Amino acid sequence: MASARILAVDDSPTILAMLEEILVSAGYEVLTAEDGAEALESARNGKPDLILLDVMLPKLDGYRVCRLLKFDQKYKAIPIIMLTAKAEEQSMATGLRTGADQYLTKPVEPERLLEAVADELARAEG
Amino acid sequence: MSGHETRLEHDLTAEQGERFREYIHEHSGIHLDEGHTDSLRISLMTRATRFGHESLDRYYELLVADETEFRELMNLITINETSFFRFPAQFEALRTFVVPEILDTRSPAVRSFRTWSAGCSTGEEPYSIAMTLLDAGIDSLGHHAEVLGTDVSTHALERARAGVYPPRALLNVPRDRVDRYFEPTATGHRVTDPVRDVVDFRYQNLIKGPHPSALMGNWDVIFCRNVTIYFRIESTRRVVESLFERLNPGGYLFIGHSETLTGISNRFETIEVGGVFLHRKPTSAVRASVPQTPRPARAAAAAEAPQVPVRAVEPEAPASEPSDAAAHLRDARAFADNGDFDAALERLTEALRIDPTLAAARYILGLIHLRAGRTDDAIAEFRRTVGADDDFVLAHLNLGNLHRSRGEHAEACREYEAALGALERSPDGAWSEFLGGFEPEVLIATCRRSLDQCQRIGGRG
Repeated sequence: MASARILAVDDSPTILAMLEEILVSAGYEVLTAEDGAEALESARNGKPDLILLDVMLPKLDGYRVCRLLKFDQKYKAIPIIMLTAKAEEQSMATGLRTGADQYLTKPVEPERLLEAVADELARAEG
Repeated sequence: MSGHETRLEHDLTAEQGERFREYIHEHSGIHLDEGHTDSLRISLMTRATRFGHESLDRYYELLVADETEFRELMNLITINETSFFRFPAQFEALRTFVVPEILDTRSPAVRSFRTWSAGCSTGEEPYSIAMTLLDAGIDSLGHHAEVLGTDVSTHALERARAGVYPPRALLNVPRDRVDRYFEPTATGHRVTDPVRDVVDFRYQNLIKGPHPSALMGNWDVIFCRNVTIYFRIESTRRVVESLFERLNPGGYLFIGHSETLTGISNRFETIEVGGVFLHRKPTSAVRASVPQTPRPARAAAAAEAPQVPVRAVEPEAPASEPSDAAAHLRDARAFADNGDFDAALERLTEALRIDPTLAAARYILGLIHLRAGRTDDAIAEFRRTVGADDDFVLAHLNLGNLHRSRGEHAEACREYEAALGALERSPDGAWSEFLGGFEPEVLIATCRRSLDQCQRIGGRG
Protein backbone atom coordinates (compact mmCIF):
# COMPACT_ATOMS: atom_id res chain seq x y z
CA MET A 1 0.00 0.00 0.00
CA ALA A 2 2.68 2.40 -1.07
CA SER A 3 0.31 5.13 -2.19
CA ALA A 4 -1.00 5.79 1.31
CA ARG A 5 -1.00 9.34 2.60
CA ILE A 6 0.92 9.98 5.82
CA LEU A 7 0.69 13.06 8.01
CA ALA A 8 4.07 13.66 9.69
CA VAL A 9 4.13 16.04 12.65
CA ASP A 10 7.26 17.39 14.32
CA ASP A 11 8.16 20.86 15.51
CA SER A 12 11.72 20.64 14.29
CA PRO A 13 11.84 21.54 10.59
CA THR A 14 14.96 19.45 10.04
CA ILE A 15 13.52 16.33 11.68
CA LEU A 16 10.32 16.88 9.73
CA ALA A 17 12.29 17.15 6.48
CA MET A 18 14.03 13.87 7.29
CA LEU A 19 10.79 12.09 8.16
CA GLU A 20 9.41 13.33 4.87
CA GLU A 21 12.49 12.07 3.08
CA ILE A 22 12.19 8.60 4.56
CA LEU A 23 8.49 8.35 3.74
CA VAL A 24 8.69 9.85 0.26
CA SER A 25 11.50 7.54 -0.77
CA ALA A 26 9.37 4.62 0.39
CA GLY A 27 6.68 5.80 -2.01
CA TYR A 28 4.25 7.44 0.41
CA GLU A 29 2.47 10.70 -0.12
CA VAL A 30 3.35 13.04 2.77
CA LEU A 31 1.57 15.89 4.54
CA THR A 32 3.45 17.82 7.21
CA ALA A 33 2.57 19.91 10.24
CA GLU A 34 4.81 21.74 12.72
CA ASP A 35 2.48 22.30 15.66
CA GLY A 36 -0.47 20.60 17.32
CA ALA A 37 -3.19 22.89 16.04
CA GLU A 38 -1.91 22.56 12.48
CA ALA A 39 -1.73 18.79 12.93
CA LEU A 40 -5.34 18.61 14.07
CA GLU A 41 -6.46 20.75 11.16
CA SER A 42 -4.55 18.65 8.66
CA ALA A 43 -5.74 15.38 10.22
CA ARG A 44 -9.33 16.49 9.87
CA ASN A 45 -9.11 18.01 6.41
CA GLY A 46 -6.22 16.23 4.69
CA LYS A 47 -7.65 12.69 4.95
CA PRO A 48 -4.38 11.01 5.96
CA ASP A 49 -4.25 7.20 6.16
CA LEU A 50 -1.83 7.34 9.08
CA ILE A 51 -0.33 9.93 11.41
CA LEU A 52 3.23 10.08 12.74
CA LEU A 53 2.95 12.32 15.76
CA ASP A 54 5.72 13.85 17.85
CA VAL A 55 4.86 14.41 21.52
CA MET A 56 6.52 17.77 22.17
CA LEU A 57 4.62 20.23 20.04
CA PRO A 58 3.79 23.92 20.40
CA LYS A 59 0.16 25.00 20.92
CA LEU A 60 -1.23 21.52 21.59
CA ASP A 61 1.01 18.65 22.58
CA GLY A 62 0.91 15.36 20.72
CA TYR A 63 -1.07 13.61 23.46
CA ARG A 64 -3.87 16.14 23.25
CA VAL A 65 -3.96 15.93 19.46
CA CYS A 66 -4.10 12.16 19.68
CA ARG A 67 -6.87 12.13 22.29
CA LEU A 68 -8.97 14.59 20.31
CA LEU A 69 -8.74 12.46 17.17
CA LYS A 70 -9.32 9.17 18.94
CA PHE A 71 -12.35 10.62 20.68
CA ASP A 72 -14.04 11.48 17.41
CA GLN A 73 -15.97 8.73 15.58
CA LYS A 74 -15.00 10.33 12.30
CA TYR A 75 -11.24 10.09 12.83
CA LYS A 76 -10.66 7.38 15.40
CA ALA A 77 -9.88 4.80 12.73
CA ILE A 78 -6.79 6.67 11.53
CA PRO A 79 -3.77 4.84 12.99
CA ILE A 80 -1.50 7.07 15.06
CA ILE A 81 2.13 6.34 15.79
CA MET A 82 3.54 8.53 18.55
CA LEU A 83 7.18 9.54 18.32
CA THR A 84 8.93 10.68 21.44
CA ALA A 85 12.34 11.28 22.85
CA LYS A 86 11.17 10.15 26.27
CA ALA A 87 11.63 6.54 27.17
CA GLU A 88 10.15 6.69 30.65
CA GLU A 89 7.43 4.23 31.47
CA GLN A 90 5.10 7.01 32.44
CA SER A 91 5.13 8.50 28.97
CA MET A 92 4.56 5.07 27.59
CA ALA A 93 1.49 4.63 29.77
CA THR A 94 0.14 8.06 28.81
CA GLY A 95 0.81 7.29 25.17
CA LEU A 96 -1.23 4.11 25.35
CA ARG A 97 -4.00 5.68 27.40
CA THR A 98 -4.29 8.41 24.77
CA GLY A 99 -5.28 5.70 22.36
CA ALA A 100 -2.17 5.84 20.17
CA ASP A 101 -1.82 2.67 18.12
CA GLN A 102 1.93 2.45 18.44
CA TYR A 103 4.66 4.15 20.31
CA LEU A 104 8.20 4.62 18.98
CA THR A 105 11.03 6.07 21.00
CA LYS A 106 13.50 8.31 19.20
CA PRO A 107 15.99 7.78 17.76
CA VAL A 108 14.13 5.61 15.31
CA GLU A 109 15.91 3.82 12.51
CA PRO A 110 14.29 4.46 9.14
CA GLU A 111 13.72 0.72 8.62
CA ARG A 112 11.99 0.39 11.97
CA LEU A 113 9.84 3.44 11.24
CA LEU A 114 8.78 2.14 7.82
CA GLU A 115 8.05 -1.27 9.31
CA ALA A 116 5.76 0.26 11.93
CA VAL A 117 4.02 2.39 9.30
CA ALA A 118 3.45 -0.62 7.04
CA ASP A 119 2.16 -2.70 9.98
CA GLU A 120 -0.34 -0.09 11.07
CA LEU A 121 -1.56 0.54 7.53
CA ALA A 122 -2.04 -3.18 6.98
CA ARG A 123 -3.91 -3.47 10.28
CA ALA A 124 -6.18 -0.55 9.38
CA GLU A 125 -6.83 -2.13 5.99
CA GLY A 126 -7.36 -5.55 7.52
CA MET B 1 -45.61 72.81 33.97
CA SER B 2 -47.57 74.96 31.52
CA GLY B 3 -51.01 73.43 31.88
CA HIS B 4 -51.21 72.52 28.19
CA GLU B 5 -51.61 68.93 27.05
CA THR B 6 -48.51 66.92 27.73
CA ARG B 7 -46.24 67.06 24.77
CA LEU B 8 -42.80 65.62 24.83
CA GLU B 9 -39.87 67.58 23.54
CA HIS B 10 -38.47 65.71 20.57
CA ASP B 11 -34.85 66.25 21.08
CA LEU B 12 -32.42 64.85 23.53
CA THR B 13 -30.05 67.68 24.31
CA ALA B 14 -26.38 66.93 24.52
CA GLU B 15 -26.48 67.65 28.21
CA GLN B 16 -29.42 65.31 28.86
CA GLY B 17 -27.84 62.62 26.72
CA GLU B 18 -24.66 62.82 28.78
CA ARG B 19 -26.63 62.61 32.03
CA PHE B 20 -28.54 59.46 30.94
CA ARG B 21 -25.40 57.86 29.55
CA GLU B 22 -23.56 58.47 32.79
CA TYR B 23 -26.39 57.10 34.89
CA ILE B 24 -26.75 54.00 32.71
CA HIS B 25 -23.02 53.42 32.74
CA GLU B 26 -22.81 53.78 36.48
CA HIS B 27 -25.67 51.38 37.10
CA SER B 28 -25.20 48.75 34.42
CA GLY B 29 -21.63 49.22 33.24
CA ILE B 30 -22.99 49.62 29.73
CA HIS B 31 -21.28 52.39 27.87
CA LEU B 32 -23.47 53.87 25.14
CA ASP B 33 -21.29 55.74 22.68
CA GLU B 34 -22.28 58.17 19.90
CA GLY B 35 -23.40 55.27 17.73
CA HIS B 36 -26.06 54.39 20.30
CA THR B 37 -27.55 57.90 20.51
CA ASP B 38 -30.52 57.03 18.35
CA SER B 39 -31.28 53.86 20.23
CA LEU B 40 -31.00 55.79 23.50
CA ARG B 41 -33.23 58.65 22.30
CA ILE B 42 -35.92 56.30 20.95
CA SER B 43 -35.91 54.19 24.11
CA LEU B 44 -36.15 57.28 26.34
CA MET B 45 -39.01 58.74 24.29
CA THR B 46 -40.87 55.47 24.37
CA ARG B 47 -40.67 55.10 28.12
CA ALA B 48 -41.22 58.79 28.95
CA THR B 49 -44.30 58.94 26.72
CA ARG B 50 -45.77 55.99 28.53
CA PHE B 51 -45.65 57.92 31.81
CA GLY B 52 -46.99 61.08 30.24
CA HIS B 53 -43.85 62.98 31.14
CA GLU B 54 -43.43 66.11 29.11
CA SER B 55 -39.76 66.40 29.79
CA LEU B 56 -36.90 63.96 29.81
CA ASP B 57 -35.65 65.64 32.97
CA ARG B 58 -38.79 64.43 34.77
CA TYR B 59 -38.27 60.97 33.33
CA TYR B 60 -34.70 61.08 34.63
CA GLU B 61 -36.01 61.63 38.17
CA LEU B 62 -38.35 58.68 37.79
CA LEU B 63 -35.54 56.52 36.48
CA VAL B 64 -33.31 57.34 39.41
CA ALA B 65 -36.10 56.62 41.89
CA ASP B 66 -37.38 53.39 40.38
CA GLU B 67 -35.27 50.30 39.90
CA THR B 68 -38.03 48.56 37.89
CA GLU B 69 -38.21 51.38 35.42
CA PHE B 70 -34.45 51.21 34.99
CA ARG B 71 -34.78 47.55 33.97
CA GLU B 72 -37.56 48.42 31.53
CA LEU B 73 -35.42 51.06 29.89
CA MET B 74 -32.50 48.66 29.61
CA ASN B 75 -34.82 46.13 27.98
CA LEU B 76 -35.39 48.58 25.17
CA ILE B 77 -31.83 49.75 24.78
CA THR B 78 -30.20 46.35 24.61
CA ILE B 79 -32.58 44.71 22.14
CA ASN B 80 -30.36 42.60 19.97
CA GLU B 81 -30.83 40.80 16.73
CA THR B 82 -29.59 37.31 17.37
CA SER B 83 -30.02 34.00 15.62
CA PHE B 84 -29.31 30.33 16.20
CA PHE B 85 -25.73 29.17 15.64
CA ARG B 86 -24.50 32.69 15.04
CA PHE B 87 -20.90 32.19 13.79
CA PRO B 88 -21.29 28.42 13.27
CA ALA B 89 -17.51 27.83 13.37
CA GLN B 90 -17.53 28.63 17.09
CA PHE B 91 -20.12 25.93 17.79
CA GLU B 92 -18.18 23.52 15.60
CA ALA B 93 -15.06 24.23 17.67
CA LEU B 94 -17.09 23.61 20.82
CA ARG B 95 -18.31 20.24 19.53
CA THR B 96 -15.13 18.90 17.93
CA PHE B 97 -12.51 20.37 20.22
CA VAL B 98 -13.56 21.83 23.52
CA VAL B 99 -16.03 19.17 24.66
CA PRO B 100 -13.80 16.16 23.90
CA GLU B 101 -10.81 17.81 25.53
CA ILE B 102 -12.59 18.78 28.71
CA LEU B 103 -14.36 15.44 29.12
CA ASP B 104 -11.17 13.56 28.54
CA THR B 105 -8.96 15.46 30.92
CA ARG B 106 -11.27 15.90 33.89
CA SER B 107 -11.80 13.66 36.86
CA PRO B 108 -14.21 10.83 36.03
CA ALA B 109 -16.18 11.70 39.18
CA VAL B 110 -17.49 14.93 37.61
CA ARG B 111 -20.56 14.13 35.57
CA SER B 112 -21.96 17.48 34.50
CA PHE B 113 -20.69 19.71 31.71
CA ARG B 114 -21.60 23.29 32.64
CA THR B 115 -21.91 26.13 30.16
CA TRP B 116 -22.94 29.68 30.90
CA SER B 117 -24.28 31.96 28.20
CA ALA B 118 -23.75 35.46 29.61
CA GLY B 119 -25.84 38.07 27.83
CA CYS B 120 -28.10 35.49 26.21
CA SER B 121 -30.79 37.92 25.00
CA THR B 122 -33.78 35.95 23.71
CA GLY B 123 -32.20 32.51 24.18
CA GLU B 124 -30.88 31.55 20.74
CA GLU B 125 -27.33 31.19 22.04
CA PRO B 126 -27.95 28.95 25.07
CA TYR B 127 -30.27 26.73 23.01
CA SER B 128 -27.64 26.49 20.26
CA ILE B 129 -25.09 25.50 22.90
CA ALA B 130 -27.42 22.84 24.28
CA MET B 131 -28.02 21.39 20.79
CA THR B 132 -24.27 21.36 20.16
CA LEU B 133 -23.61 19.51 23.42
CA LEU B 134 -26.29 16.94 22.61
CA ASP B 135 -24.75 16.53 19.14
CA ALA B 136 -21.34 16.02 20.73
CA GLY B 137 -22.78 12.88 22.31
CA ILE B 138 -22.32 14.04 25.87
CA ASP B 139 -25.14 11.77 27.09
CA SER B 140 -23.73 8.62 25.58
CA LEU B 141 -20.45 9.36 27.35
CA GLY B 142 -22.21 9.32 30.69
CA HIS B 143 -22.26 13.09 31.20
CA HIS B 144 -25.11 15.53 31.28
CA ALA B 145 -25.18 19.06 29.97
CA GLU B 146 -26.21 22.08 32.04
CA VAL B 147 -26.65 25.39 30.25
CA LEU B 148 -27.52 28.67 31.94
CA GLY B 149 -28.57 31.77 30.04
CA THR B 150 -28.48 35.16 31.81
CA ASP B 151 -29.37 38.65 30.65
CA VAL B 152 -30.21 42.14 31.93
CA SER B 153 -33.39 42.25 29.88
CA THR B 154 -36.35 40.62 31.61
CA HIS B 155 -38.38 40.84 28.40
CA ALA B 156 -35.71 38.98 26.49
CA LEU B 157 -35.62 36.31 29.21
CA GLU B 158 -39.38 35.82 28.96
CA ARG B 159 -39.09 35.20 25.26
CA ALA B 160 -36.13 32.91 25.86
CA ARG B 161 -38.17 30.80 28.28
CA ALA B 162 -41.04 30.60 25.79
CA GLY B 163 -38.58 29.23 23.23
CA VAL B 164 -40.66 29.89 20.13
CA TYR B 165 -38.92 31.52 17.17
CA PRO B 166 -39.77 32.96 13.75
CA PRO B 167 -38.29 31.17 10.71
CA ARG B 168 -35.59 33.80 10.12
CA ALA B 169 -34.00 32.96 13.49
CA LEU B 170 -33.33 29.46 12.09
CA LEU B 171 -31.43 30.57 9.01
CA ASN B 172 -28.09 29.10 10.15
CA VAL B 173 -29.60 25.84 11.37
CA PRO B 174 -28.97 22.83 9.12
CA ARG B 175 -32.08 20.91 8.04
CA ASP B 176 -31.36 17.83 10.14
CA ARG B 177 -30.98 19.93 13.28
CA VAL B 178 -34.26 21.73 12.60
CA ASP B 179 -35.92 18.32 12.37
CA ARG B 180 -34.30 17.05 15.52
CA TYR B 181 -34.53 20.04 17.82
CA PHE B 182 -37.57 22.11 16.72
CA GLU B 183 -41.26 21.41 16.37
CA PRO B 184 -43.50 23.61 14.20
CA THR B 185 -46.31 25.42 16.03
CA ALA B 186 -48.88 27.99 14.96
CA THR B 187 -46.70 30.86 16.19
CA GLY B 188 -43.28 29.64 15.02
CA HIS B 189 -40.68 26.96 15.69
CA ARG B 190 -40.61 25.69 19.24
CA VAL B 191 -37.45 24.26 20.79
CA THR B 192 -38.11 20.64 21.78
CA ASP B 193 -38.18 19.40 25.37
CA PRO B 194 -34.88 17.47 25.42
CA VAL B 195 -33.12 20.76 24.63
CA ARG B 196 -35.22 22.86 26.99
CA ASP B 197 -34.58 20.41 29.83
CA VAL B 198 -30.90 21.25 29.65
CA VAL B 199 -31.29 25.04 29.66
CA ASP B 200 -32.15 27.37 32.52
CA PHE B 201 -32.59 31.18 32.44
CA ARG B 202 -31.96 33.86 35.04
CA TYR B 203 -31.78 37.62 35.37
CA GLN B 204 -28.25 38.85 35.89
CA ASN B 205 -26.35 42.08 35.48
CA LEU B 206 -22.76 41.31 34.48
CA ILE B 207 -21.43 44.49 36.06
CA LYS B 208 -23.46 44.65 39.23
CA GLY B 209 -24.59 41.76 41.38
CA PRO B 210 -26.47 40.11 42.82
CA HIS B 211 -24.85 36.98 41.48
CA PRO B 212 -27.03 33.92 41.88
CA SER B 213 -25.06 31.28 43.71
CA ALA B 214 -25.25 29.09 40.62
CA LEU B 215 -23.02 31.65 38.92
CA MET B 216 -20.22 31.50 41.44
CA GLY B 217 -17.98 29.11 39.58
CA ASN B 218 -17.17 25.74 38.11
CA TRP B 219 -18.04 26.62 34.56
CA ASP B 220 -16.49 24.48 31.84
CA VAL B 221 -17.38 26.95 29.13
CA ILE B 222 -18.57 30.56 29.18
CA PHE B 223 -20.01 32.32 26.15
CA CYS B 224 -19.86 36.09 26.46
CA ARG B 225 -20.09 37.19 22.87
CA ASN B 226 -20.58 40.75 21.68
CA VAL B 227 -21.56 41.82 25.16
CA THR B 228 -18.35 43.52 26.11
CA ILE B 229 -18.65 45.90 23.16
CA TYR B 230 -21.23 47.77 25.23
CA PHE B 231 -18.85 48.26 28.12
CA ARG B 232 -16.00 50.69 28.61
CA ILE B 233 -12.54 49.17 28.74
CA GLU B 234 -12.25 49.19 32.57
CA SER B 235 -15.61 47.46 32.93
CA THR B 236 -14.66 44.97 30.22
CA ARG B 237 -11.47 44.14 32.11
CA ARG B 238 -13.45 43.60 35.30
CA VAL B 239 -16.03 41.41 33.55
CA VAL B 240 -13.41 39.27 31.81
CA GLU B 241 -11.45 38.95 35.06
CA SER B 242 -14.57 37.76 36.83
CA LEU B 243 -15.35 35.27 34.03
CA PHE B 244 -11.79 33.96 34.30
CA GLU B 245 -12.27 33.35 38.03
CA ARG B 246 -15.49 31.44 37.45
CA LEU B 247 -14.07 29.08 34.83
CA ASN B 248 -12.68 25.70 35.79
CA PRO B 249 -8.96 25.31 35.06
CA GLY B 250 -8.83 24.13 31.45
CA GLY B 251 -12.20 25.78 30.77
CA TYR B 252 -12.86 27.95 27.72
CA LEU B 253 -14.17 31.47 27.18
CA PHE B 254 -15.91 32.23 23.87
CA ILE B 255 -16.00 35.90 22.94
CA GLY B 256 -17.41 37.49 19.80
CA HIS B 257 -15.94 36.62 16.47
CA SER B 258 -14.60 40.16 16.05
CA GLU B 259 -13.64 40.75 19.68
CA THR B 260 -10.17 40.31 21.15
CA LEU B 261 -8.71 40.00 24.63
CA THR B 262 -5.65 42.03 23.65
CA GLY B 263 -5.25 44.80 26.19
CA ILE B 264 -8.01 43.28 28.32
CA SER B 265 -6.57 40.11 29.80
CA ASN B 266 -3.37 38.13 29.40
CA ARG B 267 -4.40 35.32 31.70
CA PHE B 268 -5.89 33.10 28.99
CA GLU B 269 -4.02 30.81 26.60
CA THR B 270 -5.20 31.50 23.07
CA ILE B 271 -5.25 28.78 20.45
CA GLU B 272 -6.72 28.72 16.99
CA VAL B 273 -8.90 25.83 15.87
CA GLY B 274 -10.59 25.87 12.48
CA GLY B 275 -10.20 29.62 12.16
CA VAL B 276 -11.71 30.23 15.59
CA PHE B 277 -9.73 31.72 18.45
CA LEU B 278 -10.29 29.87 21.70
CA HIS B 279 -9.36 31.32 25.08
CA ARG B 280 -8.44 28.72 27.65
CA LYS B 281 -7.89 29.15 31.36
CA PRO B 282 -4.57 27.40 32.01
CA THR B 283 -4.62 24.31 34.18
CA SER B 284 -2.81 24.73 37.46
CA ALA B 285 -0.16 22.22 36.46
CA VAL B 286 2.53 24.47 35.05
CA ARG B 287 5.12 22.65 33.01
CA ALA B 288 7.84 21.32 35.27
CA SER B 289 11.21 22.69 34.30
CA VAL B 290 13.76 20.00 33.80
CA PRO B 291 17.00 21.52 35.11
CA GLN B 292 16.83 22.19 38.82
CA THR B 293 18.95 25.34 38.72
CA PRO B 294 17.11 28.43 39.97
CA ARG B 295 15.99 30.91 37.33
CA PRO B 296 17.96 34.19 37.24
CA ALA B 297 15.90 37.19 38.25
CA ARG B 298 16.50 39.12 35.05
CA ALA B 299 14.12 37.10 32.95
CA ALA B 300 12.62 40.07 31.14
CA ALA B 301 15.95 41.37 29.94
CA ALA B 302 17.09 37.97 28.77
CA ALA B 303 13.89 37.33 26.84
CA GLU B 304 15.09 39.85 24.29
CA ALA B 305 17.29 38.29 21.64
CA PRO B 306 20.78 38.24 23.10
CA GLN B 307 23.11 40.39 21.05
CA VAL B 308 26.49 38.88 21.68
CA PRO B 309 28.97 39.71 18.93
CA VAL B 310 30.55 36.58 17.47
CA ARG B 311 34.05 37.98 17.25
CA ALA B 312 34.25 39.44 20.74
CA VAL B 313 36.38 36.60 22.06
CA GLU B 314 38.73 37.35 24.89
CA PRO B 315 41.76 35.28 23.95
CA GLU B 316 43.26 35.28 27.43
CA ALA B 317 42.03 33.70 30.59
CA PRO B 318 38.27 33.90 30.39
CA ALA B 319 36.58 34.40 33.75
CA SER B 320 34.58 31.21 33.38
CA GLU B 321 35.65 27.82 32.12
CA PRO B 322 34.44 26.65 28.72
CA SER B 323 32.93 23.68 30.54
CA ASP B 324 30.50 26.14 32.22
CA ALA B 325 29.32 27.19 28.79
CA ALA B 326 28.67 23.56 27.92
CA ALA B 327 26.64 23.14 31.13
CA HIS B 328 24.53 26.18 30.29
CA LEU B 329 24.02 24.81 26.82
CA ARG B 330 22.83 21.48 28.21
CA ASP B 331 20.35 23.27 30.46
CA ALA B 332 19.18 25.44 27.58
CA ARG B 333 18.44 22.38 25.48
CA ALA B 334 16.49 20.78 28.28
CA PHE B 335 14.46 23.97 28.77
CA ALA B 336 13.86 24.32 25.04
CA ASP B 337 12.80 20.68 24.72
CA ASN B 338 10.36 21.31 27.52
CA GLY B 339 8.88 24.34 25.84
CA ASP B 340 10.26 26.87 28.33
CA PHE B 341 11.87 29.22 25.81
CA ASP B 342 12.39 32.13 28.19
CA ALA B 343 14.50 29.96 30.47
CA ALA B 344 16.30 28.52 27.46
CA LEU B 345 17.13 32.04 26.26
CA GLU B 346 18.65 32.94 29.62
CA ARG B 347 20.89 29.89 29.54
CA LEU B 348 21.91 30.52 25.94
CA THR B 349 22.81 34.13 26.71
CA GLU B 350 24.94 32.93 29.59
CA ALA B 351 26.59 30.25 27.46
CA LEU B 352 27.35 32.75 24.68
CA ARG B 353 28.74 35.27 27.16
CA ILE B 354 31.31 32.69 28.20
CA ASP B 355 31.94 31.36 24.72
CA PRO B 356 30.56 33.49 21.86
CA THR B 357 31.74 30.94 19.29
CA LEU B 358 29.50 28.21 20.65
CA ALA B 359 27.75 27.32 17.40
CA ALA B 360 25.26 24.94 18.99
CA ALA B 361 23.97 27.75 21.26
CA ARG B 362 23.48 30.01 18.24
CA TYR B 363 21.70 27.20 16.44
CA ILE B 364 19.18 26.68 19.28
CA LEU B 365 18.68 30.45 19.39
CA GLY B 366 17.86 30.33 15.68
CA LEU B 367 15.36 27.52 16.26
CA ILE B 368 13.64 29.51 19.01
CA HIS B 369 13.32 32.51 16.69
CA LEU B 370 12.00 30.23 13.98
CA ARG B 371 9.45 28.73 16.32
CA ALA B 372 8.24 32.20 17.28
CA GLY B 373 7.82 33.13 13.63
CA ARG B 374 10.70 35.66 13.70
CA THR B 375 12.21 34.45 10.44
CA ASP B 376 14.54 37.43 9.95
CA ASP B 377 16.06 36.85 13.37
CA ALA B 378 16.24 33.12 12.67
CA ILE B 379 18.14 33.70 9.43
CA ALA B 380 20.53 36.11 11.18
CA GLU B 381 21.19 33.60 13.96
CA PHE B 382 21.70 30.63 11.60
CA ARG B 383 24.16 32.85 9.69
CA ARG B 384 26.05 33.47 12.93
CA THR B 385 25.95 29.72 13.56
CA VAL B 386 27.75 28.95 10.29
CA GLY B 387 29.97 31.97 10.94
CA ALA B 388 31.13 30.24 14.11
CA ASP B 389 31.26 26.76 12.55
CA ASP B 390 30.90 26.55 8.79
CA ASP B 391 30.40 22.78 9.05
CA PHE B 392 27.19 23.13 11.10
CA VAL B 393 25.12 21.18 8.57
CA LEU B 394 21.71 21.75 10.17
CA ALA B 395 22.11 25.55 10.16
CA HIS B 396 22.81 25.40 6.40
CA LEU B 397 19.78 23.16 5.92
CA ASN B 398 17.52 25.55 7.87
CA LEU B 399 18.89 28.51 5.93
CA GLY B 400 18.14 26.62 2.72
CA ASN B 401 14.57 25.94 3.80
CA LEU B 402 14.03 29.55 4.91
CA HIS B 403 15.36 31.00 1.66
CA ARG B 404 13.34 28.51 -0.36
CA SER B 405 10.13 29.48 1.45
CA ARG B 406 10.87 33.09 0.53
CA GLY B 407 11.33 32.17 -3.12
CA GLU B 408 15.07 32.95 -2.96
CA HIS B 409 16.09 29.84 -4.87
CA ALA B 410 19.68 30.73 -5.69
CA GLU B 411 20.47 31.36 -1.99
CA ALA B 412 18.59 28.21 -1.01
CA CYS B 413 20.58 26.08 -3.48
CA ARG B 414 23.85 27.53 -2.15
CA GLU B 415 22.87 26.58 1.39
CA TYR B 416 21.84 23.01 0.46
CA GLU B 417 25.15 22.62 -1.37
CA ALA B 418 27.00 23.98 1.67
CA ALA B 419 25.13 21.48 3.85
CA LEU B 420 26.15 18.58 1.60
CA GLY B 421 29.75 19.80 1.54
CA ALA B 422 29.84 20.07 5.31
CA LEU B 423 28.32 16.60 5.65
CA GLU B 424 31.17 15.19 3.63
CA ARG B 425 33.84 17.07 5.58
CA SER B 426 32.58 16.41 9.09
CA PRO B 427 29.89 13.73 9.19
CA ASP B 428 29.86 13.71 12.99
CA GLY B 429 30.31 17.38 13.89
CA ALA B 430 28.80 19.19 16.86
CA TRP B 431 25.52 19.48 14.93
CA SER B 432 24.96 15.74 14.76
CA GLU B 433 23.47 15.55 18.25
CA PHE B 434 20.55 17.62 16.92
CA LEU B 435 19.71 14.94 14.38
CA GLY B 436 17.08 13.33 16.56
CA GLY B 437 18.90 10.03 16.26
CA PHE B 438 18.61 9.77 12.49
CA GLU B 439 21.58 8.50 10.51
CA PRO B 440 23.52 11.08 8.45
CA GLU B 441 22.48 9.14 5.32
CA VAL B 442 18.89 10.31 5.84
CA LEU B 443 20.12 13.86 6.15
CA ILE B 444 22.19 13.56 2.98
CA ALA B 445 19.17 12.28 1.09
CA THR B 446 17.04 15.10 2.53
CA CYS B 447 19.53 17.75 1.43
CA ARG B 448 19.89 16.20 -2.04
CA ARG B 449 16.13 16.08 -2.57
CA SER B 450 15.70 19.69 -1.38
CA LEU B 451 18.56 20.83 -3.63
CA ASP B 452 17.02 18.97 -6.53
CA GLN B 453 13.59 20.52 -6.10
CA CYS B 454 15.09 23.92 -5.63
CA GLN B 455 17.20 23.68 -8.79
CA ARG B 456 14.19 22.61 -10.81
CA ILE B 457 12.00 25.45 -9.53
CA GLY B 458 14.78 28.01 -9.62
CA GLY B 459 15.77 27.05 -13.17
CA ARG B 460 19.29 26.18 -12.11
CA GLY B 461 21.01 22.90 -12.40
